[in-house]
Amino acid sequence: MAQSTESEFVTLVSNDGFEFIIPRSAACVSSTIRLRLASSKYKEGSTGRCNLDELRGAVLEKVCEYFCYNEKHKDQVNVPDMDIPPELCLELLMAADYLDT
Amino acid sequence: MAAMRARHKIRAPRRGVSHANTEDFDSIWTVLASSLTEINTKNASTLAFEEIYRHAYKIVLMMRAPDLYEQVKQLEQDWLKTNVRTLIIDSISSSLVRAKKSTDAQDQSSERREAGEKFLTVLKDAWEDHQLGMGMVTDVLMYMDRMVASRTHPPIYVACMALFRDHILRAPVRAGSALTVMDVLESTILFMIQLERSGHIIERPLIRHCIQMLEGLYETATEEESSKLYLTEFEPAFLRTSKKFYQAEGQRLLEMGDAATFCRLATQRIAEEEERCRYMLSITTEPKVLELLDEQLIRSNIEEVVNLEGTGVRRMLDHDQLEGLRNVYMLNKRVDQKKQALTKLVNTRIVEMGKEINASSVLLPQAPAPSAEKDSKGEKKPEKGKDKEKPQNQQTVSAIGWVDDILSLKRKFDDIWEKAFASDQGMQASIGASFANFINMNSRNSEYLSLFFDENLKKGIKGKTESEVDVLLDNGITLLRYIKDKDLFETYYKKHLSRRLLMKRSVSMDAERQMISKMKLEVGNQFTQRIESMFKDMTISEDLTTNYKEDIARSGDPDQKPVDLEINVLTSTMWPMEIMASKEGTAQLPCIFPREIDTLKQSFERFYLDKHSGRKLSWQASMGTGDLRATFVRPNGKAQRYELNVSTYAMVILLLFNDVPDGEGLTYDEIKTRTRIQDHDLIRNLQSLAVAPKTRVLKKDPMSKDVKPTDRFLFNHEFHSPFVKVRIGVVSGGANKVENQDQRKVTEKKMNDERNGTIEAAIVRIMKQRKTLTHSQLMTETLSQLSARFVPDVNMIKRRIESLIDREYLERVSEEPPTYGYVA
Repeated sequence: MAQSTESEFVTLVSNDGFEFIIPRSAACVSSTIRLRLASSKYKEGSTGRCNLDELRGAVLEKVCEYFCYNEKHKDQVNVPDMDIPPELCLELLMAADYLDT
Repeated sequence: MAAMRARHKIRAPRRGVSHANTEDFDSIWTVLASSLTEINTKNASTLAFEEIYRHAYKIVLMMRAPDLYEQVKQLEQDWLKTNVRTLIIDSISSSLVRAKKSTDAQDQSSERREAGEKFLTVLKDAWEDHQLGMGMVTDVLMYMDRMVASRTHPPIYVACMALFRDHILRAPVRAGSALTVMDVLESTILFMIQLERSGHIIERPLIRHCIQMLEGLYETATEEESSKLYLTEFEPAFLRTSKKFYQAEGQRLLEMGDAATFCRLATQRIAEEEERCRYMLSITTEPKVLELLDEQLIRSNIEEVVNLEGTGVRRMLDHDQLEGLRNVYMLNKRVDQKKQALTKLVNTRIVEMGKEINASSVLLPQAPAPSAEKDSKGEKKPEKGKDKEKPQNQQTVSAIGWVDDILSLKRKFDDIWEKAFASDQGMQASIGASFANFINMNSRNSEYLSLFFDENLKKGIKGKTESEVDVLLDNGITLLRYIKDKDLFETYYKKHLSRRLLMKRSVSMDAERQMISKMKLEVGNQFTQRIESMFKDMTISEDLTTNYKEDIARSGDPDQKPVDLEINVLTSTMWPMEIMASKEGTAQLPCIFPREIDTLKQSFERFYLDKHSGRKLSWQASMGTGDLRATFVRPNGKAQRYELNVSTYAMVILLLFNDVPDGEGLTYDEIKTRTRIQDHDLIRNLQSLAVAPKTRVLKKDPMSKDVKPTDRFLFNHEFHSPFVKVRIGVVSGGANKVENQDQRKVTEKKMNDERNGTIEAAIVRIMKQRKTLTHSQLMTETLSQLSARFVPDVNMIKRRIESLIDREYLERVSEEPPTYGYVA
């Protein structure tokens, strides 16, 4: 499952074991993740695999959805709203804070 | 919607702030601290970012971020103090410390250099490690930074950089010594630069890194640009040493006493410093150090360099050392936008050279014929006419030489200006001014220049292409630009031109026209107006001649011997009449033409006045020529025919001999009474007919060079020439020459009269428009109006104003300030 640094995809792992493989550029919207992957200074840099123990699968899924949504609608106006289930709101806010997105 | 809300309750996150408690802090910090130490020792690749990040995150969630911040700072400080500082201080060898005290470094340079390089390398490595480590720490503590930094504390990265500054650079080298690592660093780098300046090769990248370190560190936590350690500590020191160095360097180069070398080396130094700043120090230092270099090396020395005896600019100018001049120019331009030092010398030199040219143009004719020169000051004696020929010819040559010399000087400086002075506008103006200066020192400039044109239009342009002619004329025009008294030039030019036109000496009418259009461009319409009308007269006259011939052919007087007439009718106001009227305007009786000519003259007058009634024709025989067919009877009875081309006067004289029986002659007085030709012209014509060796149509008795009133003239049947057509020029009449003293006086007087008129006209024009004007304003306006033509004398204008007041064109309106009013 390990991917090389050059790969354009990265793997994000939630604390309950879900793995999400998304484009590197999309993931780098989060400065936490970007710094984590930026150089091979740390372990994640060389494996392209990030464990996000603070997030559970459902939240990380939404986060990844947002990453892709953001990537897709970059530099656009009149973008349709993204659907956020109210029950995830608080957790997503915390995740956003944690990931500095 | 409301129903939906109700069903999906917003649930609290599973872990909250309340969840954490203070007990965990110490244990988490222990884990973090060990991770940070790993980072410091460059073992980070085994660490998981996520883990450290999460730990920091947790601590921040516990609201213990400030504690964490302090802890991290403490940890880093300890690390720097214990590990890094020892490493660096160990690398400072005693030679570096010693060298700091004694500035004289040459004796131990290689040792010091080695030690210095070692020290710099260690310091650089330590810095880079620290930078890298702190970068990583900042990354993992990002969350903490966001919580803490913005408010009271600088970001952790900045804080750690400050730690490096305080605990490494500002640390004493030896316990208790005031010398800090920073001092050693500074002196080492300066020492390296010193080495490089004296021609050694040093390890630039190393120094560059150290400089980058200084640029990356700030005095204060807010990191303003101006508080960079580089700017506060290193740069002043660097500039101080540079200043000292260039002061000494300036002295040293000056003592070498070679301007070219000075400039070359100085230019080189500038390039070196530029490069040094670019690759080793900081771009921001470049203007400062160059400014300093300009000040120390150039500004204080340039004047001396320029004036350096034997090698200075003067020599460069004389030897066309473009390279050197370019360097001087560049240097001078650096320190002085006006380039005064250089300009001054160039100007002096131009004027000097110009004066030489002026002097040589005077000397040349004097050297071979001093006696003749003396004569020309006295009254012109008829007997001396022949003698005067030579010096005058030489003077003409020297006049043309003068122009040529100036042109070549001009070319030389144009060349220098273009190649060495980067076509600088200011320089051009000042070079031009210098030229004008010395050209106007020669009071005969206008005459000489006009002669130059005359010469070229007569002979010079033969066999030249159009573009060459163009260049030649342009050159002349350039000089014209410098001449102040353009009206004087106009007078001379008109005079010379009229000779060219009437005697058909001009090689190409196209060139003449070209010349005029050039003058028009340069000096203006008004200037060429009269000259142009001269051309018009010429064309009209041509038509007139043909018309007249047709008319004669039609009316047909078959028995009359046909005499061809080619006539030029000239408008008297446009042509310089003084060349035709021989002496100061004394009303002279027209010469008596022989019968044949007289009838022709009358017939033309009839023809002309028929066409243009109310005009008066006055005949100017002195400018004309005539073709005669003469038969010489040899002693053996054979007749030899020649066609003689002579001046009108000579023709009149020769025709007299038609009525004289063979073997008899006419005396000078007889000729005079029968022709009424003026002495002056008569002598000259007789000289060319009887004295000039090749064209001796008449015999003179007694045979001598001079013509005396008692001389007798006989028709010379032995006249012999290899050609059938013989051209007999009039002595000293035909060619345009330098005027002698008397003629010049006349010209000057005429000039003055004309100027008086011009000045009056200008004054009246101005006053008519302004009605009243103060004296000084009137002066300035008049001067500016006239400056295109000549530079009038202020006294002259004053006199004109007086005279206008006398004649009631103007009146004095007020005395304080003196004001004039226009009287309508």
